[in-house]
Amino acid sequence: MTVSVSTPTSSAAIAIRGLGKRYRIGEQFRPSAVRDKLANPRELFRRSAPARSIWALRDVSLDIRHGSVVGLIGRNGAGKSTLLKILSRITEPTEGEARLYGRVASLLEVGTGFHMELTGRENVFLNGSILGMSREQIRRNYDAIVDFADIGELIDTPVKRYSSGMFVRLAFAIAAHVDPEILLIDEVLSVGDAAFQNKCLGKVASMTGSGRTVVIVSHNMDTISRLCDTAVWLARGEIKDQGPTVSVVRRYLSEGTANATTWSPDDDTNPAFIYHSVSARRADGLDGDDAFPADLGFELVFDFTVREQIPPGRLSFRIDGEDGRAVLTTSDTDRGATSNAPWTLGRQRLRCVVPAHLLAPGRYYLTLSEPLRAGNRLHESVIRITISEQGSLVARDGRDGVVAPLLAWTQDGRP
Amino acid sequence: MRPVTESNGSVAAEPMPVLVIRPSRGWRALGLRELWAYRELLWIFAWRDLKVRYRQTFLGAVWVMGQPLITMAIFTLIFNRVAHLRASGNVPYSVFVLSGLLLWNFFSASVAHAGNSLIGASYLISKVYFPRLAIPLAATIVDLVDLSVSAVLLAALMIWYRVLPGPEIVLFPVVVLAGAVLATGVGLWCAALNVEYRDVRVLIPFVLQLGMFATPVAYSVDVIPAKYRFLVLLNPMTGIIEAGRATLFGTPVAMEALLSAAIVSPLVLITGIYYYRRMERLFADLL
Repeated sequence: MTVSVSTPTSSAAIAIRGLGKRYRIGEQFRPSAVRDKLANPRELFRRSAPARSIWALRDVSLDIRHGSVVGLIGRNGAGKSTLLKILSRITEPTEGEARLYGRVASLLEVGTGFHMELTGRENVFLNGSILGMSREQIRRNYDAIVDFADIGELIDTPVKRYSSGMFVRLAFAIAAHVDPEILLIDEVLSVGDAAFQNKCLGKVASMTGSGRTVVIVSHNMDTISRLCDTAVWLARGEIKDQGPTVSVVRRYLSEGTANATTWSPDDDTNPAFIYHSVSARRADGLDGDDAFPADLGFELVFDFTVREQIPPGRLSFRIDGEDGRAVLTTSDTDRGATSNAPWTLGRQRLRCVVPAHLLAPGRYYLTLSEPLRAGNRLHESVIRITISEQGSLVARDGRDGVVAPLLAWTQDGRP
Repeated sequence: MRPVTESNGSVAAEPMPVLVIRPSRGWRALGLRELWAYRELLWIFAWRDLKVRYRQTFLGAVWVMGQPLITMAIFTLIFNRVAHLRASGNVPYSVFVLSGLLLWNFFSASVAHAGNSLIGASYLISKVYFPRLAIPLAATIVDLVDLSVSAVLLAALMIWYRVLPGPEIVLFPVVVLAGAVLATGVGLWCAALNVEYRDVRVLIPFVLQLGMFATPVAYSVDVIPAKYRFLVLLNPMTGIIEAGRATLFGTPVAMEALLSAAIVSPLVLITGIYYYRRMERLFADLL
């Protein structure tokens, strides 16, 4: 890796040519021990045998224009994070080349290098320096950072006494003030509470507005759709599709979308909770294809076993539209008074009715949350449904809107 | 009228930094210019470790003072009272041994800290880029601060015993610098080896322990039979400790020892940086 000074020959902020990264896997991947080499002296001078290897990224070529905001999307293991790590210079490519024109900052994690024993103020300087800010730059932005984080007096308290929300707020506030020309962000916007998330998204949006080039990795199609003008879809380490966000996200979400009204997990690693299945069914109980009539509604049936006591109220799902934007999120805390009651252990079922005339006709992707002992895990877009135009008001009148509710219109008596 | 094009190169007010990322092959450049650009981060790392160490516990400071003091007391008891080892020159044995411990402890601590520093910083290495040399170097800086704290202890003991240094003492910082060069070099080797071979971690303290007895910390070079003396003189730490004593107490120092320290230390440092830089590209993947 070298740094040189010249002027760009095109308007590209990032030019990637034939980039590839190979990881060695299997036993060879583990660091060896001197002991083993000494025990087998022949080994000492022999290069390790070619190990099994996988290409996490292969032959990726891409031009990213100055001032554009690019979303990297793809399933887990598609190479998104590897690409970001190469561009951030954390790991080296195995082949190919990337040129970045401008000062680069990367945000692969919120709060990298925070030290629990140090105060908030000290961590601003520590974390700011790690992210590549000069002390002078940190000093200039200090007030704005503390202001944005909304920490107040506690800035002089060791961060180990902070709540997780405060910690994240401070960490993001620092990162938001790094002010590079090229910003690489990995899935860090999904932290904090909803209000703060919106503040963060707003901040990123304002950063993107001012001619900065931003590359964002996210599983959240809503984030990608809101922030990015261009999306790049990676699959098995290669670029599968790229172009305007709306169309790439649509193709990404609709991939392999044949009947997917029922989902069950492929692993069983959660000791506290296990899903047997989650399925979307017609509200009238009839079997059918995955198109639900707009005037019928559907229900989502959760079949699961609670193995250990976990904090209540974390069974939730989000419905995303075809463009990746979230339409709604709902949680079993909506059950009302009993919502914070402890879980009943053992196998059980929970239903959620999505009423008729709520969703406009179209395709929808449901993301489910799985409660863990602490926090939860998201299964993104695992259920895919279609609301048909049957009985739809939107279809009948050609109305605009994401939702198509039947609202109450009443007439008062004569005034 | 000629259209203004962007391609004539004069549009940019200031040259834009271009970062070229491609696989590196073989040996890399030392990368000292980049390290210089990141010098603030180096201080911040050192400052963080010092702050945590000296704030967290009152014991932090006590440990820095107490550890050499206790070792000195034990060595004086065993080697001086029981084994009747003598110091060189007219220096009381306890002062003599403390001066050796001061430099040896600095060397040993910074080799151990630098050697293990990458493992401790793996969470940073996998998440953010900065010159990786900053991590072991910051560890050495922290140990330099510890060294100056224990130097106060030595000064106090010298005043107590009325051992007053001559003008040579101005060269003491040079000796410390030489020690820092050697310690950093060995530390870099250990740090990089530690990533490739995980059991180096276990070997480091063991080898350092042996090293202390192979180095004239608790004895002077004179007590070694002339036949084997060259072995001790080859050890670069011998030259550093003996030179340190020469600047403090005006004791004689063997030219061979000085030569060995002057040749070996920079050599170890430069090869250490090269080896470290060569292994560096694997850090994020292996850690």
